[in-house]
Amino acid sequence: MTRLLTVENLTVGLPQGADRPHAVEGLSLHVDAGEILCVVGESGSGKSITANTVMGLLPKLLPVRGGSITFEGEDILALSEEAMRDRRGRRMAMVFQEPMTALNPLMKVGDQIAEALAVHGRGQDAAKRVPELLAAVNLPDPASIARSHPFRLSGGQRQRVMIAMALALEPALLIADEPTTALDVTTQMQILRLVREIQSRQGMGVMFITHDFGVVAEIADRVVVMQHGRIVEQGAAQQVLNAPQHPYTRALIAAVPHGDAAARPAVSVQPMLEMKGIEKTYHRGGWFGPKATVRAIHSADFTLFKGETLGLVGESGSGKSTLARCVVRLVEPEKGEIIFAGEDLRPLSRAGWLPYRKRIQMVFQDPYASLNPRRKVGDAIAEGPITHGVDPAEARARAAELLRLVQLDPSALERYPHEFSGGQRQRIGLARALAMQPELLIADEPVSALDVSVQAQVLNLLADIRKRLGLTMLFITHDLRVAAQICDRIAVMQRGAIVEIGSTAEVFGAPKHPYTRALLDSIPGQGWTPPDLSRSA
Amino acid sequence: MELSRLPAYLAGRLVKAAIVILAIVVCNFFLIHAAPGDPASIIAGQSGSADARFLEQLRAQFGLDQPLYVQLWLYLKGVLTLDLGFSHRQQASVASLVWDRLPATLLLTGAAFVFAIVLGVTMGALAARRVGTWWDSIITVLALAFYATPLFWVGLMLVLLFSVTLEWLPSFGMMSVGVEMSGIGKVLDVGKHLLLPALTLGLFYVAVYARLSRATMLEVADQDFVKTARAKGVPEGRILRRHILRNAMLPVITFAGIQAGQLIGGSILVETVFAWPGIGRLAFEALLARDYQVLMGVFFCTSVMVVLFNLITDLLYAVVDPRVEVS
Amino acid sequence: MKTFWRNFARNRGAVVGLVILVLVLIVALTAPWIFPGSPWDMAGAPFAPPGEDGMLLGTDSLGRDVAAGIAHGARVSLLVGAVSTVVSLVIGIGLGAIAGYLGGWVDDVVMRFTEFFQTIPSFVLAILLVAIFTPTIQSIVFAIAVVSWPPVARVVRAEFLSLRSREFVQASEVLGKSRISIVLGDILPNALSPIVVLSSLMVASAILLESALSFLGLGDPNMMSWGFLIGSGRSVIRMAWWMSVFPGIAIFLTVLSLNLVGEGLSDALNPRLARNRGGKP
Repeated sequence: MTRLLTVENLTVGLPQGADRPHAVEGLSLHVDAGEILCVVGESGSGKSITANTVMGLLPKLLPVRGGSITFEGEDILALSEEAMRDRRGRRMAMVFQEPMTALNPLMKVGDQIAEALAVHGRGQDAAKRVPELLAAVNLPDPASIARSHPFRLSGGQRQRVMIAMALALEPALLIADEPTTALDVTTQMQILRLVREIQSRQGMGVMFITHDFGVVAEIADRVVVMQHGRIVEQGAAQQVLNAPQHPYTRALIAAVPHGDAAARPAVSVQPMLEMKGIEKTYHRGGWFGPKATVRAIHSADFTLFKGETLGLVGESGSGKSTLARCVVRLVEPEKGEIIFAGEDLRPLSRAGWLPYRKRIQMVFQDPYASLNPRRKVGDAIAEGPITHGVDPAEARARAAELLRLVQLDPSALERYPHEFSGGQRQRIGLARALAMQPELLIADEPVSALDVSVQAQVLNLLADIRKRLGLTMLFITHDLRVAAQICDRIAVMQRGAIVEIGSTAEVFGAPKHPYTRALLDSIPGQGWTPPDLSRSA
Repeated sequence: MELSRLPAYLAGRLVKAAIVILAIVVCNFFLIHAAPGDPASIIAGQSGSADARFLEQLRAQFGLDQPLYVQLWLYLKGVLTLDLGFSHRQQASVASLVWDRLPATLLLTGAAFVFAIVLGVTMGALAARRVGTWWDSIITVLALAFYATPLFWVGLMLVLLFSVTLEWLPSFGMMSVGVEMSGIGKVLDVGKHLLLPALTLGLFYVAVYARLSRATMLEVADQDFVKTARAKGVPEGRILRRHILRNAMLPVITFAGIQAGQLIGGSILVETVFAWPGIGRLAFEALLARDYQVLMGVFFCTSVMVVLFNLITDLLYAVVDPRVEVS
Repeated sequence: MKTFWRNFARNRGAVVGLVILVLVLIVALTAPWIFPGSPWDMAGAPFAPPGEDGMLLGTDSLGRDVAAGIAHGARVSLLVGAVSTVVSLVIGIGLGAIAGYLGGWVDDVVMRFTEFFQTIPSFVLAILLVAIFTPTIQSIVFAIAVVSWPPVARVVRAEFLSLRSREFVQASEVLGKSRISIVLGDILPNALSPIVVLSSLMVASAILLESALSFLGLGDPNMMSWGFLIGSGRSVIRMAWWMSVFPGIAIFLTVLSLNLVGEGLSDALNPRLARNRGGKP
């Protein structure tokens, strides 16, 4: 196997005032032709910076302070800018994370791929090559796609275009920086399979960056684990996945939500919430132009029983968030019944909802947007009870208790949200919801925006609190693995309708609807069962 | 936008433009009637003919003794037939006065606009390209200085420097008085007279466009697709032209439309300082004489100019940006 | 609060601007003591160049002290600038908040209205308004306010629209807070930064607008303002350049300092944006 890339002892600095002196330190790794190397790490681990350094795309603020990078026998850190530019695209190519912004919005897709060819002197081949490349990434109707502008394509399609563009000159090395993180689960699986197929066909070396160990299990030949700018473990995929050595690797693997679809004890049969016949349609388009109608929810009946956790699982556009928001009147459906504790809530006015605010609360997805930046944490938590007539002093005392409940120090009461990390902010959001002492808690993708290791902590906290306070929970997520870990029953949604609903064991073990089966099939790394690491090595 | 959909878009925008112009005319009408005092004497102005018989004539002519909606209708009818009233001071119809002076203003504002955009965008692009260096600082400071100087004062200072002290350029008018020229000679003469006024009017907008283009270019340069282009191996020059510049110009086009009204308003000041024979100067003279009919006419005319200019910028934007939909 | 001043001070231009602005304010406030009496009074021989007869900046065609005119004029310009900005803000914030928070057809109507106002050439409208309502301080302030509110409304509407769907505002809805308390407690404090920055720039443009109106002879005849000084010096510029130059410099310095302070405020309130604004780490 030819060695394509060798990184030896690389150190890249960070500007002054950052939380550590170096972005990456003493980094050594290699990629051979014909293999997929996965670089795993959480945010801030330096994995993107490594990729950018190899491609010569580092911003000027980050100087290379030491080490060498050898690509196809050349020391690329010593190359001139022009020489480096020549190799970019031709011998080494890169695919980025955000498909929605990675293409020039004003240029046709075909022209952008042709540009890749043109700048390396192969412009005359464009007419032939572009449709070929688009077909090779399994895009239907390549001619029409080539004539389209990026905004007409979906995220998955754009990512395929990016891959086609990267492969235009048949490079030896492909670097993929979290290319599937922003995609739906089913699309992600398609892209992962595409990458594997192309890689084996052309014998490329691939450096695939990800934070998801499931993806690693799905495609990696070798693995490198990074933390705080250093490599903590590397080796063959099988080795690292099944017998991790370093405590950080062990922690990461332990944090992967295990689809533990073990049978759960049945909960009570007393219904707390019934959604019947809910319909919500959005109208787009104006007075002079084409109208578009989106049926966000049209066939999504379900019953939530007291004490259980029901998961609403679906991809983007499935309507799961919209449905959950109907329960708290953030979205007002046109038809249907929202029956909570025997009373239909839908026709109630804003004032009529007030008493129910105490009983139904919500935790939101984005930890950076769910807290008012100008309000102290203590005030944010005490606000709700104070609005409902609780004495301010008592509300603040309760706030301190709640902070302890979510495992935060009560000194947080006097601090501002920006002083806390993402995981801590989610805990604060949880405390704010619990301050109202609700019976029903709706969690809208509460861990999707968090790092894997933090995800596990917050999920465990949720499970713990649920048990302690006897909460009923409606849990929205796009990740079936997370749903399996925390939900008793699961409802699968697709384009506004619940296509399957049943206990976790049933849905995982014997899925009935083809979409459910497709979703289960798209869980990356299904063939791998995370080892039990509860005993220390 | 796909070019085949352009006619439909144009039609839609023309309808909107017509509605706006209609609204402006109605606005004009209500301005006269909002003023304190007798509308007849306002219309007659302080043109010295405020005798009772004349005012009676005016009242009858404008139907000022009739209900408001009838007056509005009469006024609308007048405007639609391009009858903008009659200026007693100048003894000519407002429409003809405006029409005579319009070309001069168009020449001035056109020249100023072209100058402002070309120099402004070049400066802004240069500053963005060499961000953080001396070039950037100098351009930013210059832009700030131009932005803060009052238009009319710049005009006076330029006159002081180039006309009075250095005697290089003429200080007023559009053409040299008393000399008959034609062909190239005339063009050069007008050009010499045009230089200072256009410079004065354009300088403020040079600053505006310089600051705007610098900001948008920095913003666009940071976006993902620029990084993609670099990863493909596209040379920096081509990245600047094909990727950054095109995308950065979109907000500039929009802004140019918004600034159109200010530009035309500024021409009033410049034409006053340089005695340029355009509708701005017409407005100033009408102001001194309290000739409200003419003022209204100028207001109407400038508003129509702005609406048409906005139409052009909207069309341009729609052609350049494929994401604009016909709706 | 301390972080605010630290970030503000990092922008050296802003600090310079603040110093100049404070100096202008001091001159304006102390004018009646430094130049007692009315600036309309004859103080010396007509057309005295700067430095002669103890007239620091010369005299005009009627022998009035230019320096006194500038000092007293500062009061007028700053007053008009500040008051008209406040009125503009009230109109703009009111309309923008309603449009942004309520959305739907209310938003449409308000936006059409705002766009219409932005289409009309603002300076021409201001001239018309002042001419029709006869030039007084009140009509000038009114006219400036009427033509200056659209940008405020747009900015406030954009902020409200964006904040309305922010999750912490949604959380407040779910907690059961009243609409008023959400607008005042959650949305408005977070929408303030762009408004503060905009205010500084608006005072600057109000001063420019007022001086332009005075230059054309539409100023309040009882108040001496910078624009008027320049206007009266226009026809005699060959003989007495100082009449036009110095008041212009005063306008320039004031407007410049306001713009610099505005940028400093922007940096102080959005430190992350400042770092990205270019070059400086």
